[in-house]
Amino acid sequence: MTELAQNLIDGLGRGSIYALLALGVAVVFGVMHLLNFAHGELITVGGYVALWTLGAGWSWYIVTPLIVVSAVLTSLAIERVAFSRVRGSSDFTLLLTSFGVHFVISAIFLLYVSASVKPFDRPSWVTNTYSAGPLNIEVYDTVVIAVTVLTLIGTTMLLQRTMFGLSLRAAAADFDTARLMGVRSDTVIRGAFALSGLLAGIAGVFWLMRAGSISPSAGITPMLKGVLAALIGGLGSLRGAVIGGLVLGLAEVLLRSRLPDSVASLTEGVVFLLIALLFIFRPQGLVTVRHAERV
Amino acid sequence: MFPRPGRDVGFPIAGCALLFAVFLAGGLIFESFQGRAAERLVTVMLIDAIIVLGIQIYVGNTGVLSFGHIGFGAIAGYAFAVFAISPEEKRKRIGDAPFGLDEVLLNPALAVAVAIGVTVVVALVVGIGLARSGAESGAVAATVITLALLFVTHEVARNWPDLTGGNRAGLTFKVGAALDNRLPIYLCLLGALIVARLFAQSRSGKLAVAAREDNLAARAMGVNPLVQQTAALLISVVVVSVGSSLRVYENGSILPDDFFFDYTLLTLAMLIVGGRNSVTGALVGVAVMTAGRELARRLGRDGFEVFGLGLDAGPLDWIFRENLQTVFLGLAMLGFMIFRSDGLLGDWELDGWLWRLWHRRKPEERPEPLPEVAPVGLHAEVAHQGATLDVHELVVDFGGFRALDGAGLTVAPDEVVGLIGPNGAGKTTLVNVITGVVAPAAGWFKVGERELTGAPSHDIARAGLVRTFQNLRLFDALTVRQNVELASSVAAQHRPGPHPPVDALIAEAGLWDVRDRRARELDYGSARRLELARAAAMAPAYLLLDEPTSGMSDAESGEMIRTVRHMAAAVDAGVLVIDHDLNFITGISDRIYVLDQGQVISAGTPDEVQADPAVRAAYLGAESDTRRPG
Repeated sequence: MTELAQNLIDGLGRGSIYALLALGVAVVFGVMHLLNFAHGELITVGGYVALWTLGAGWSWYIVTPLIVVSAVLTSLAIERVAFSRVRGSSDFTLLLTSFGVHFVISAIFLLYVSASVKPFDRPSWVTNTYSAGPLNIEVYDTVVIAVTVLTLIGTTMLLQRTMFGLSLRAAAADFDTARLMGVRSDTVIRGAFALSGLLAGIAGVFWLMRAGSISPSAGITPMLKGVLAALIGGLGSLRGAVIGGLVLGLAEVLLRSRLPDSVASLTEGVVFLLIALLFIFRPQGLVTVRHAERV
Repeated sequence: MFPRPGRDVGFPIAGCALLFAVFLAGGLIFESFQGRAAERLVTVMLIDAIIVLGIQIYVGNTGVLSFGHIGFGAIAGYAFAVFAISPEEKRKRIGDAPFGLDEVLLNPALAVAVAIGVTVVVALVVGIGLARSGAESGAVAATVITLALLFVTHEVARNWPDLTGGNRAGLTFKVGAALDNRLPIYLCLLGALIVARLFAQSRSGKLAVAAREDNLAARAMGVNPLVQQTAALLISVVVVSVGSSLRVYENGSILPDDFFFDYTLLTLAMLIVGGRNSVTGALVGVAVMTAGRELARRLGRDGFEVFGLGLDAGPLDWIFRENLQTVFLGLAMLGFMIFRSDGLLGDWELDGWLWRLWHRRKPEERPEPLPEVAPVGLHAEVAHQGATLDVHELVVDFGGFRALDGAGLTVAPDEVVGLIGPNGAGKTTLVNVITGVVAPAAGWFKVGERELTGAPSHDIARAGLVRTFQNLRLFDALTVRQNVELASSVAAQHRPGPHPPVDALIAEAGLWDVRDRRARELDYGSARRLELARAAAMAPAYLLLDEPTSGMSDAESGEMIRTVRHMAAAVDAGVLVIDHDLNFITGISDRIYVLDQGQVISAGTPDEVQADPAVRAAYLGAESDTRRPG
């Protein structure tokens, strides 16, 4: 029982980060039907910002907002340079464009920084734990969960209460109709990329605090987790993306602690296998979104 | 009817031989200038070409982007290595391999066969997941699954050292035991070319392309895309397995990172730069990207020294850096996606071009138009049972909006029945239900005794209910003739009895002179008539026409009445036609149903319906209301 509770807390901590990543992926998918394989690069850029600023002796309290800002700016820049040119293209073009952006950004760091993994200092409290009854809780997980909850509340308010949120949800439901109703596509799409960058930035801060290092290909794993979580939740559903992230995090932690030692190193493989099974038996993901095609 | 031996078999094989010769000659000439340094580069290019062709078979014909083929390649590569490497070598790395695999040894050809077998089994399982999620959530979901596959194979390869030698050591052939001549590579490349081209020209390939062009229309023509996509996947995986085994054999070793992101980027960039929809394009892409990447690599290393200019790179130092080739690949992919997403060649094929050159000299004879009356026996067995189309009290809800509220109708085998009503009355929804696009909440429909409620679209089409679409859905990349042939070939397999001749249908639709044009090049009226001819080629029991005259002038509408009636009589089909153009409907129909707010409010002959006061009220009262969805 204690072990399960411990797993749940660890899983929620991990899942929270995935949820933020997945939500960012889902927001962009909603307005552009683009699955952004370059989403992880927002964290890569933030990671190099952290590397340089921490290297210059700045503290994490200053670096944290810088990471978030750099993620937002990168997201907007990617939209302007690449994605704005392929709006309305086929799925194939959109997917490969984002794949190309992913490679160009990581190749630039490869070219101008280094292929090797560069370490930087983690905040001292990341590895601290405190006990609550029989449980050993990481300060880090607590902060992650708290910040994620706050971020999700903020995002929900933004989506429910503001004109921008309404336009974004309308565009996600039916882009063409939303445009006919006077929603400005430029504003909504750029707003979606900014929001996506913000969410990735917040997730990125935690990701980098835990990792304590950066390399040109560091964005691949967070991208994959975000994209898979969004898919598990049901592509196009914002609520589903959050659920998908939490489910993915919990599944990873539970599997890692329950699998026999001989296969524990294959946890990721087993998780992928479970996801594949999920799609065979429930191909639309956990939360169903109706994609009505007019004929 | 395809495949035709000359066009679809002979010319492609000849074209492949020519392509192979040119590709190889290019490589050998380069080698003769650059000497031994270039030898390895050319060998690698030949092997890359096999793998890229394998990917093209799936990605090109189905239009689904796959990141997973390099994952399949990893599976094949490891399977090949485990079976082909001698036990002495294996004992050094994987002494306790499971299932006693450290003791087996097969000759390389057999090891390739095993690699193919293993990979195909995995591909079958993955294929089911791909097909199911692809059908539910679109191609994007399928792509993510292929990406997951790539990561799974990589993770497993890294973390299962007992079988794979793990992340650092990998598996290695004994020095001197690796592939040392190019003959097997030549043979496999030529084979891959021929397989890729013949598959594209095969019936299965054409059906896959139809589904790529328009999934919904393909299903409405009786094509089951899942079957064609799975066929394409299996064939493509076989080719990729062969290429990957060669890659490992030539390299002499395999590590997890050999078949991962970087190689996926390289092969996909090759494919899309050349043109993913064309085999010729795939090969051109391999050549262009190999050359470009090598140039970028040398520029990055040596700057302008590469050209023997002896110039210091100077102001360009910031570009000419190590690893320039990776940036080049990414930029090439991005640039082509943004500015030329169909690649250099689009869907141009060498043998298709040769065929057209050859053919220009021999014009075909104009065929006889369709006879006025159906040939005896067309649908004889169905018609004699009086297979009425019977639609009973359908109910459909969209959220809170009840689109159909107990609507029903019947159409007799030789009747032309009109269905009219104001916008939003539920006309298209009714057709969508009886073609399997929308599931009804209640009610049923039958053709004769056969209940079809809830059947998938392609089964309904095969049962003889064939539709056209309000917003025109043709297979744009196929020619006029291929559009019709495709439907005809589905009919040949799934519809009983004799079938209307393809050429006669094309002539009847007034499209004979443009028969070899692509559907996307047609003017609007011709496109409408092609859609009708394509539906008629299915030898349907019932033609369901959704607003066949929308966007047409009165004169064109009048012509359409004649064409529809004539074609329906010639293929012996009943007709259910939807329109809101009263003149057209009364001109064409034997009987008319009037739909309003999901219910039939009137039925009868055109005269009776026109005289019905309820119709006049509903129709005229609601026609100006354009806010409701149609």
